[in-house]
Amino acid sequence: MEHDNELKLQAYLDGELPEAEAREVLKWLAHDQEAVLLQAELKNTRQALAGAERLIQLPESREFFWSKIERDISRVERTEPAQSKESFFAPWRRLLVPVSAAAVLGIVILSVLGPMSSSSMAENEVSSEDDTGFVYRDDTTGTTMVWLSYPAENEVANQEPATKL
Amino acid sequence: MSDKDHSSAEDKALVKAAQQGDMLAFEELVGRHRDKIYARAFSMMRNEEEAVDLSQEAWVKGWQRLNQFQGESSFGTWMTRIVINLCLDQLRKQKRQRTESIEAMDQESGGVERQMPVLTVNPTAGLERAELRQRIDKAMAQLSHEHRTVLILHEFEEMEYKQIAKTMNCSIGTVMSRLFYARRKLAALLMDLKKNEQ
Repeated sequence: MEHDNELKLQAYLDGELPEAEAREVLKWLAHDQEAVLLQAELKNTRQALAGAERLIQLPESREFFWSKIERDISRVERTEPAQSKESFFAPWRRLLVPVSAAAVLGIVILSVLGPMSSSSMAENEVSSEDDTGFVYRDDTTGTTMVWLSYPAENEVANQEPATKL
Repeated sequence: MSDKDHSSAEDKALVKAAQQGDMLAFEELVGRHRDKIYARAFSMMRNEEEAVDLSQEAWVKGWQRLNQFQGESSFGTWMTRIVINLCLDQLRKQKRQRTESIEAMDQESGGVERQMPVLTVNPTAGLERAELRQRIDKAMAQLSHEHRTVLILHEFEEMEYKQIAKTMNCSIGTVMSRLFYARRKLAALLMDLKKNEQ
């Protein structure tokens, strides 16, 4: 007999077959003696097992067994708050670790590329031409701004309030 | 709830009290169901020490997960599922430690059971209940863990194929095949015991 048919026969016995397939098995059993014998063997084994489980008792007294459980529960409950404290920081740790790693990576890249890309870094430049002027140049937008202070702001600040314009 | 109340209360009331932190109520539940939980662990592990440890672990897990118990099944059934899962985890650990044997590979393909002729005589016919239990126990002890587990879940826990597959983390086809060969092997073992008795 094919194994699939053996399994179908068993499924029929266990009430696991859909109605249509169960009807097919019934028809098959009507003319296949080998199937009938196998079904009888499976049925006998199943019936022998029904309600025949050995009755076993715990080999420890109720008090002793409970004392071990109680002790384990206390131990578990003592360690749980520590675990929950840890779990509070865990999300922060999960968030900060990649951010820190990215920051470190960024610093490393900048320190390596910094000297080589001085031209690109010159996009924004602030220079002091002399004590009385500042130049701001943005190469990306082609903007240059010049601040001139004449007289010098410090000198104005030192002037008398009456002469301040 | 007083001690007297605990001993006379129904499981439902004890579970409710235990869910609110009443340890005495939980102790009463342990007292009532400890043998059943231990027996299931023993039937799967076939080792007294391991069965005691696993049933103890199951009770601690039961206390921790008590708020997840919604009362869809009885408390005893819920606890039994916990101990079964612990036993299966333990058996998987042990299996990983064992080398892959031919016997283990034969669980689904059948091994010698494949060539076994069909028994035309019922090996348990006429046995008294106590004798039948003893023989079943002896025969079950000789099965592989996989065959024993599938029989326990189907015949004693009355699980359907689908539930067994979920519990044992395998396909329904594997469950059907294992169950078929487990039954055939058990029948042969029962026949051997019958012959030895004569």
